[in-house]
Amino acid sequence: MRSAFYLLDSAPYGSEKAFGIINAAAVSLGRMEVTLGLYGDGAYLALANQNSKGLGVPNLADILYVYGELRVLAHEFSVVKRGLFEEELIEMVELADEGDFLEAIEDSDCLILL
Amino acid sequence: MKTLTIILADGPYISEYAQIAYKIADAALKRYHVNIFLYLDAVHMPREGQNPSFFANEGELFADLTERGAVIRACSRCAAARGYFANEDGSCKDYYDGPKISSLYDLPEMLSKSDKVICLCR
Repeated sequence: MRSAFYLLDSAPYGSEKAFGIINAAAVSLGRMEVTLGLYGDGAYLALANQNSKGLGVPNLADILYVYGELRVLAHEFSVVKRGLFEEELIEMVELADEGDFLEAIEDSDCLILL
Repeated sequence: MKTLTIILADGPYISEYAQIAYKIADAALKRYHVNIFLYLDAVHMPREGQNPSFFANEGELFADLTERGAVIRACSRCAAARGYFANEDGSCKDYYDGPKISSLYDLPEMLSKSDKVICLCR
């Protein structure tokens, strides 16, 4: 396998899944081409100005910025459906329509969903 | 020989994924080198002393797979967070023999050498 698509469809902070998938994607960088896809509630990870101090956990968007070479795609329809389209998103996120999102999955050698 | 990697991330008994993974690995071992990577709550699966009332003992299933050549690794960060700590050789006193605790970096290592990847997570 030379590429992996990590798919997150859970909201950040509600479980360990978002943190886990970011870590898994991050350690895969350098070994393979990596895309992190934000789908459904995973789209909330794309929001800028997250403040997780009250939860006592790291700001997951800040962790994404550490891995600038990571390609992060947010499923546009998921973003729109959650009323996030007018909100500020983190800079490194690319919005992808249905076709582009699916194409990115198809172009990857494996799909990993946590 | 081709390589199959199975990724699990849910805890034991909350779903049938561990048993499904066992059946897939059991069949695949005839033709594939099989890796299983245990991530997040799945690091509980090899715990010794399980006594489920209605299901097969998942720890024993995984120990059986390692006896037959499968490589089973658990994420060290996830394991430590849940109270499992590795000995120098990666074994864990709380685990059945076979599965080992190792770095998350083993995941991309496994993926990069795999011909097929199956991710079983809810």
